[in-house]
Amino acid sequence: MPQITVTTRSGEKHVLEAAVNQTLMEVIRDSSIDGMDAICGGCCSCATCHIYVDPDFVDQLPPVSEDEEILLDGSNHRKPEVSRLSCQIRVSDSLNGLVLQIAPED
Amino acid sequence: MTNFATADFFTDTSLIENPFPYFEYLRSQGPIARLPHRNVLAVTGYAEALEILNDPQTFSSANAATGPIPDLPFEPEGDDITEQLNAHRDEMIATGLVVAKDGKEHANHRSLMMNLFTPTRLKSNEEYMWTLADTLLDSFVDRGHCDLIAEYATPFATLVIADLLGIPENDRITFCEKLGPPPGAVGGEVDYMDAQVLGMSFLFEYFGQYLAERREQSKGDILSQFAQAKFPDGSTPSVDDLVWISAFLFGAGQDTTARLLGACLRVFCENPELQKQVRNDRSLIPAFIDEVVRYEGPVKCASRLAVKTTTVAGVEIKAGTTISLLYGACNRDPREFEAPTEIRLNRPNARKHLGFGRGVHTCAGMPLAKAEVTASLNRILDRMTDIKLSEEHHGKPGNQRFTYEPIYTLRALKNLFIEFTSVR
Repeated sequence: MPQITVTTRSGEKHVLEAAVNQTLMEVIRDSSIDGMDAICGGCCSCATCHIYVDPDFVDQLPPVSEDEEILLDGSNHRKPEVSRLSCQIRVSDSLNGLVLQIAPED
Repeated sequence: MTNFATADFFTDTSLIENPFPYFEYLRSQGPIARLPHRNVLAVTGYAEALEILNDPQTFSSANAATGPIPDLPFEPEGDDITEQLNAHRDEMIATGLVVAKDGKEHANHRSLMMNLFTPTRLKSNEEYMWTLADTLLDSFVDRGHCDLIAEYATPFATLVIADLLGIPENDRITFCEKLGPPPGAVGGEVDYMDAQVLGMSFLFEYFGQYLAERREQSKGDILSQFAQAKFPDGSTPSVDDLVWISAFLFGAGQDTTARLLGACLRVFCENPELQKQVRNDRSLIPAFIDEVVRYEGPVKCASRLAVKTTTVAGVEIKAGTTISLLYGACNRDPREFEAPTEIRLNRPNARKHLGFGRGVHTCAGMPLAKAEVTASLNRILDRMTDIKLSEEHHGKPGNQRFTYEPIYTLRALKNLFIEFTSVR
């Protein structure tokens, strides 16, 4: 099972087992890590599952869709290149070792 | 007056018009309180509800449609009834609905509804919503009064979802006529409740045909997206799976949205200053909608079934217990929301209410509902000023009465008679 490392808003690091085909949002939400509200439940309609992806992994992620772009654009904490909505990224074996950080709350 | 200690929330019609004093009584018993009937624990605490919603392994959604009625089709045994539930699941009502599924099957079905109501799709549909709002308003606005639910909210919500799904115009009227009230009738007999859920069954024939047509050729609508959809693992859903989801989307989305719009107008009428404030600054509409969902949300009670014995907030929950998540109470939990009975448009945590649920079963139609209510409020405020409750129907200020559908699952205004000055 691919492993991902998540840094919370308070700076704690957690290594999570991620099932292939789950979204990153689901992996984080279903663990007991605090800080991921994911208010819309993965519908690509809020930005409460915003994460920063380690730059080394950016190229392996699916491109940002127009919808994701609109929502990220509405966040006050967007960072170029590394900001993503975790509900829009499905886990695959190639993401083993992924490192990410939960973005601050808007 | 109702004796709260012995009241049966699921049958007592005296708790319909204003359930909030009863909810506060339950809160005084603790955030998770045992009800005297039906092996139910009622949750009024926000944090406790969140803990339960975020633990779908322990709290199944198998009873999500109607909660503790009818009784479980088996006698729970021991501290883990997962296998018993799996063996009897098909005997429970409405378990084909996505709201009542668990685990991988739920994740598969839900994945088909993700990304349906995204910002771009809603934007492309916005013009239709504004035109439809005007068409409906045109039919009564000059007369200066209306029943907002029957004359505007219900047809609006029905026609929007019908259009998005791609239901042919000729069939839309048939659907409106045949759709019965939502499940969860207070005091309803079990057979009747089953019939209510099965009342959706006529939709299956129609949707089966639409989906078969769209597997041949896409029409660019949501049903076409379904017809071509795959589960996350790449497998193809059966037509039957897709029919359940489409019928659910059609049946579930419209009534709650219509009643939410009704609640928004009731709040406007009861708070003229707020009405004025939002009228003058339409950018407040999204915050206003979230506050109304928190304060008067359409989903009053959602249900879960404890499949493993566990403890939440110091309360032991035995496997087999029905959990009634009283969203209407959780959203007024003073530990989470300061001054919970006030509508505050600048509440920092306003969006964190549980009115659309949370976790794996969060309402997939939330973005659509918000878009529909936003468009409607904008056009209503454009075309009506000085919106007031009709004294003839609701009584004089200070002693106003409202009729809500006698349902324990939803908080649904049956009608809302308003008066206003038409804007030309």
